[in-house]
Formats: sequence, C-alpha cells, structure tokens
Amino acid sequence: MEILLSRVFAGATSGSIYVLIALCLVIVFRSSSTINFAQGEFALFTTYVTWWMTERGIHVWLAIVPAILVGFLMGAAAERWLIRPVKKRDETAVLIVALALFTGLNGLDGWIWGSDDKVFPRMLPSGEGSYITIAGARLHYDSIAIIAIMFAVVGGLTLFFNRTSMGLQMRAVAANPESAALCGVRVGRVLTLSWGLSAALSAFAGALLIPLVPPGQLGLAGMFHVLIFATAAALLGGLDSVKGAVVGGLGLGIGLALVNGYVGFLGGSMSLTVALVVIVVILLVRPTGLFGARRLERV
Amino acid sequence: MSTPLFTAENLVAGYGGATVLHDVSVTVDEHEVVVVLGANGAGKSTLLSVLAGQLPALQGSFTVDGKTVGQIRPDIMLQHGISLVPQGRGTLAPLSVLDNMRVGAISRSDRREVEADIDRWFSVFPRLAERRDQIAGTLSGGEQQMLAIARALMSRPRLLLCDEISLGLAPVIIQGLFETLREINAESGTALLLVEQNAQLALDIASRVYLLEVGHVTASGTAEQFRADDSIRAAYLGY
Repeated sequence: MEILLSRVFAGATSGSIYVLIALCLVIVFRSSSTINFAQGEFALFTTYVTWWMTERGIHVWLAIVPAILVGFLMGAAAERWLIRPVKKRDETAVLIVALALFTGLNGLDGWIWGSDDKVFPRMLPSGEGSYITIAGARLHYDSIAIIAIMFAVVGGLTLFFNRTSMGLQMRAVAANPESAALCGVRVGRVLTLSWGLSAALSAFAGALLIPLVPPGQLGLAGMFHVLIFATAAALLGGLDSVKGAVVGGLGLGIGLALVNGYVGFLGGSMSLTVALVVIVVILLVRPTGLFGARRLERV
Repeated sequence: MSTPLFTAENLVAGYGGATVLHDVSVTVDEHEVVVVLGANGAGKSTLLSVLAGQLPALQGSFTVDGKTVGQIRPDIMLQHGISLVPQGRGTLAPLSVLDNMRVGAISRSDRREVEADIDRWFSVFPRLAERRDQIAGTLSGGEQQMLAIARALMSRPRLLLCDEISLGLAPVIIQGLFETLREINAESGTALLLVEQNAQLALDIASRVYLLEVGHVTASGTAEQFRADDSIRAAYLGY
C-alpha cells in the first residue's frame, strides 16, 4: 500500500509535467490543427533564458517573467513568419518546419550556452524534510506544488477559453476558420496569439519541470523525453481538449509509474517505448483520443 | 436621388485562374430587398462571397454611403454593416448556440448591448432560445439556418446578404424564414440582398431583381417587371 501510494504520487508528479506541456500542444492544435513538435524546444530555449538571468543574480521567480515574454514573442513570430507562409502552400510541410525549428532551436541553445549541463535553481520547495506522509508514503512539497500549479493553469485556461472574448475567438477559429472569419474574427491574429500563448506557457512549464525530471539539470536533451510523453498524453486525451490533456497526462504519468514499478522488464529504459506504444495504439484504435472532437486528418 | 447604401462596381472575381464574375455591378439602397436570380453556376454565391469580403475581387470597387471602402476584408465589411449568411449555414458546430451568437457580435464595440441583442433574436427565433446551451452541430437543418441568420444579425448589419437560405429545408420552414426576414426588414430597416434558387418566394419579398447569367448581370429591374416577364417566368419560376 505504501509502495503503491508513493508510486502513484511519483506518477502524478511527472503526469502533471506532461499535462503542462500537453496543454501547450493542445492550445496550438485547437487553433491551427498542427502538432508543434518544436514545443519542447520553445520550453528549453526560454528555460535557458531563465537560467541565464538567474546567473546574473536575479531570483528565479523574477527571471521567469522575461522568459515568458520571450516565449510569447518566439511562438507568435514562429506562427506569423514560418508556419503561416508555409501552411498556405502545403499543410504537411508545416511538420517539417516544426522539426526544423526543433533542431534549429536546440542548436541555437548549444551555440549560445554550450552543451554542458547547468545547475538550474529549484523553483519549488524541496529539501530533506519537506514532505508530508500519507499512509506511510511520502508526498513531497514540490510534488504538491507542481500538481497544484498544473490544476491552477488548467483552471485559468478553462476560464480564458470560456469567459473571454479572445478565448471565444480561439474556439471559433478551431471550429471553423472560414466561418469565424465571416463573423469578423481576425483569424491570423488569433493564430499568432495562440502560438504565443502556448510558447509562453511552455516557458513557465519548462523552468518548473527541469529540476524535476532526470537528470535534474538544464541540458540540451532536457525536453526530448518530456515532449514525447506530453505528445502521448495529448493524443491520449484527444489533442484539442483541455480536459483530455489533464486526464491523458495524469493517466500516462501514473500508468507509467505503476508499469515501471510492477512490470520489471518494462521499467527504466523501456518507459519511453511504452509511451511511444501508447501513441501508436491511439493512432490505430482511437485517433480522436478520449475527449477529442476532431479526427487527426491533417497534421 | 439619394446615395445608395451599398454599391459594388465592375467586379471581376474567380478561383485560381477561372473567372466566375465578369464586370458585375450591384447597388442596394437603404431598407431595400434585392434578389439575385440565376441558374446553378451563374456566380451567385461567388458574388455574395466577394461582397462579404471573403473572396478577394480581382477588380472592382465598393462604396458604403457613397464612400469608397479601401481594404476589403470580412471584419471591415462587417464594420461597414455588411453581414453574410453563408450557403451551408457555416455554424460553428462544436460551440453552443449562445457562443455562436456571441461570435456573431465579435465585430462590435458596444459589448454591453450584445446580451440584449441575443435576447432579442432569441425572441424572434424561440427555438434557438430553447436550445441556447445545446451544441450547434446537434441542431436540425432548419434550426441551424435560423442560427446562421441570427448570428449574422448579431453584428447589427445594415445589409444582410443571404446565400440560398432555403437550401435543403422543408417548405414550411422556408416559408417561416422568409416571413421572419420580411419582418426584420420592415422593423429594423435592415436591407436584404438574397441569392435564391427558390425564385418564387424571393420575388414575393423583393422589390428589385438582378439576373445573373454565367457571371454577367444580363437583366435588372423591379420585381413586378420580372414577375410579368414571360421568359423569366418560364426560366426561373416554372409556370
């Protein structure tokens, strides 16, 4: 029971991380039907920005603010000047552009900041005694914090989508861009804003999650695994559903923690394979995911 | 003669190299009901699409209240009071009826009066009021058409462009929709430009007619003139 619970806690922690990045994928997919494979690299680049600021003596929670702004501008610029011109000519070429962004940004990180791992300050409370015990299992404060932050972000996004004019316009564009345009929605502007919002959120998430995922330091490969798990989570949930990203992310996180713990041969190095198997199975069996509305007809 | 509400002059438009409209001009006066008749493929939907700013014209000019409209985009045409009910309704299927109505008001700056307008159109279309929280995609064809009209009206248009609103609907529903349009025209003074296959009904509420044949306006005149014209009757009214 104790071991089971601690595995669930560990799964919920990594699951919350997947949810945060999955949400970024969902925001982009909802409005432009594109899976942004560069999402993880947006997060990584901006996390380097955060780290660079902390090296200059700025507190990490303050350093994250300009990083979020940089993220917003990066996402918006990528949509406006890379994705949109290409998409006009060829839907599928967008995928290649996203992959180019992926490798390009990663190369840029290495060129600017070098390939050695950086010690990234922890943003969430952690330490020897910083945990509570539930039925014998330890639940660390940083786990509690990341889960709480994840739910707060979900709540904020839900309010944004359902209560604000821009949220309504984003949903309208996601539903039918031509009709939305006829109603006076500036579709291009909405797309630019969605990409900006998504990259801004990934800047926030990146700085939070780097200390929590192995190796716990900021390195060039820091987002690879997270992106694959988050993509699996988003697909599982349905790619265009906030609720789906939450269920998919937590389900995947907890599921993988349990599989790793109880099915010996799948543990450790195989968990990435399990995530990829999940992706393939969803694409085969239920391309709309658990809560998705649209079929994955164009990526 | 007073300044017309809206004019489009010498429009040339088409898709990819194929020209669909050749030198088409239309005028709509304040409060007027105008119908564009024409066979399938004559370019009627293309014309409305251009007028709504959806399809860029290759040539041509627009005026509203006698002033030239510079940039032609849907949001700018809406701000000038021109709103389109597209063919096939174009409702936002995964959004609720209420949200569809709100999207229709996006171009407006007077946010406070939006909710009052929603109530107003709900009282005109009580079936939409009953289904306000329902997902638009689950409405019947007639209800979706009502929603498309109500949504287009949410922008407070001075000119409502209606593209084949009778398409695929039962006669009794069509009758009701046209009755409602006539009332809206009478009460709010909203001018109407209708494109219709159902020429009989359209001629009943229209005061003026354009005949569009393979991308050219080949005749125009009052509705009475058209009803009295034997060749028009034979070609478009079927009696």
